[in-house]
Amino acid sequence: MPGFRDLLPAEAEVLREAQESLLAEMRRWGYRHVITPLVESMDVLELGLGREQRRRLFKFTDGDGDVVALVGERTVPVARLAAGKLRTAPLPLRLCYAGPVLSTDEGRFQQRRETYQVGAELIGAPGAVADAEVIAMAARCMEAAGIRRYQIDVGHAEFFHGIMDAVKLPDEVKAAVRVALAARDFVALESLLESTPLRSAEHELLLRFPALRGGAEILQAAGGLVRNRRSETALAELAKVRELLVAHGIAQVVSLDLGAIRDFDYYTGVIFEGYGPDLGRPVTQGGRYDGLLARFGRPAPATGFMVQLDLVTEMLARTSGPVTMPRLDAAVAWTGAGLDTALRIGSTLRLLGMRAVVDTEAREPARAKAWWTAVGAANLIHCDSESAVSWMASGQRPKRVSPDEVASHLAGGAGI
Amino acid sequence: MSGERTSIAIPTGVLTSGALELLARSGLIQLSPEELGRQLLVDRSGLRVILVRPTDVPAYVDHGAADLGIVGKDILWETPGAHYELVDLHLGPCRLVLAVPDSSSLDGPETWPPLVRIATKYPRTAAAWFESRGQAVEVVRLHGSVELAPLVGLVDGIVDLTATGRTLRENHLRVTAVLGDSTARLIANQASLKTRTQAVQSVVSKLREVAGVAR
Repeated sequence: MPGFRDLLPAEAEVLREAQESLLAEMRRWGYRHVITPLVESMDVLELGLGREQRRRLFKFTDGDGDVVALVGERTVPVARLAAGKLRTAPLPLRLCYAGPVLSTDEGRFQQRRETYQVGAELIGAPGAVADAEVIAMAARCMEAAGIRRYQIDVGHAEFFHGIMDAVKLPDEVKAAVRVALAARDFVALESLLESTPLRSAEHELLLRFPALRGGAEILQAAGGLVRNRRSETALAELAKVRELLVAHGIAQVVSLDLGAIRDFDYYTGVIFEGYGPDLGRPVTQGGRYDGLLARFGRPAPATGFMVQLDLVTEMLARTSGPVTMPRLDAAVAWTGAGLDTALRIGSTLRLLGMRAVVDTEAREPARAKAWWTAVGAANLIHCDSESAVSWMASGQRPKRVSPDEVASHLAGGAGI
Repeated sequence: MSGERTSIAIPTGVLTSGALELLARSGLIQLSPEELGRQLLVDRSGLRVILVRPTDVPAYVDHGAADLGIVGKDILWETPGAHYELVDLHLGPCRLVLAVPDSSSLDGPETWPPLVRIATKYPRTAAAWFESRGQAVEVVRLHGSVELAPLVGLVDGIVDLTATGRTLRENHLRVTAVLGDSTARLIANQASLKTRTQAVQSVVSKLREVAGVAR
């Protein structure tokens, strides 16, 4: 089926490890892991998703004729949970999740319709301190996953809303401006704004949207151009968040991006995106969505983010070359009376945290070597009796050792 | 986005020489269509220029294989993506039109039958245009010589790109509506604009400057 694929051992292992690293980092920040179903009722999803997002859902009916869908993101299910089964839990709630999400749209995820996301939500905490916590955690998650070079762009949805309120344009032109910005079509935007006689500072800002990036100085520059309360408040909040991110120790990876273009119907405050080297798309994104919980009957401010796990592994593969399977530590072969010894050695090695495979059939030494190569382990242990076994490390001559010594020999070599 | 140099994808075909002339006039790189055509990929003067099929330019840019791309607006109508469309380069102007045989009774919307059948290389754009006018349409996707389709009775009309209108006239077709005007655009990868803002923006502003000059 187009858009779906199998992950083979090497890929699956890297993906799983990245997922564990991300969840472990989130747990270090006090976030509790929740697992929500892959299937949600459309009644639930409709409360949280826009029209375009709903269109992309895989939908079907269950036995009672109710329409259900495979989740396309996991913030809405977590919001349902926070307002439902967790409604008596004191706020703020810190929750994290991991799992696949699906989209009928092949283009959206680069020909992939099933992708993996890991995310965290901070529910019930307003203000800059909560915003900064989530951004700093996203940055630390990048590091935990093994991404060395990355940057986080921080913006504010209200900055844009304020400009759209203040800009002097007929309603139908305003609507067209929103469409052009959503499509990132600055040529259309320019011609729309040129055709109106009224010029204001807000026109200038809209035209310069993709270039409104930089450090703290960009807040000053923008502050000199906007004259509306919403945008001014947004700039003040951004300044505060930036200060807090300095205290979090991640100032060097943070840029301010006043022209960030996102789903502005959903986000209500500080928004951010994380980029790594050599990848054309953001690997993490998030922001404040204070309106969502109220739709589930528990009004509460909230902020959060998600990491595209597929993009993390893609980035790791690019920076560290092709993914290689972690090697097995030992291939344990046997003949005749050696089977019990082989099983005992296998158990001991695994107890010490090593990876060991015990052969399923008896093999003479020569055939055992061929099997060893196929398995791809660092050591071959050949057991032919209860008292002594033959141990061979890659590129070395075989040695006779006692079965009890095998673990310590291997542990020495494996650096345990 | 490989390495630190800024990369730009140039389309093969009618836009190649105009795009290279813009790059030369902006002082970015002197490169002849012949040299680029021979090598397909040229690294020089801190710039990487790659030559790809017009329909592939958005893919190179969206995936980050090129920071920037030059591509006709007609291609962007058919393949919307996650890129930024930054500058109208005013190159290769042409129009996307609805054309019918000279002998046809079809003209304005009031003359359209309940189901209009059209042939086109732009199925997405054509379908959206009719749909927004509440008109049912059957779109036949063709890959070349679209103007033949109405002459042999396959369809009522065609939606195709025309610069001078000559091909249409030669095939006894007349224009009844204009769906859109197209010129070459400069597009940019969203991450390139953010991760290497200065280098990419400097190329963008140089091209913006020369594109404004009347040709």
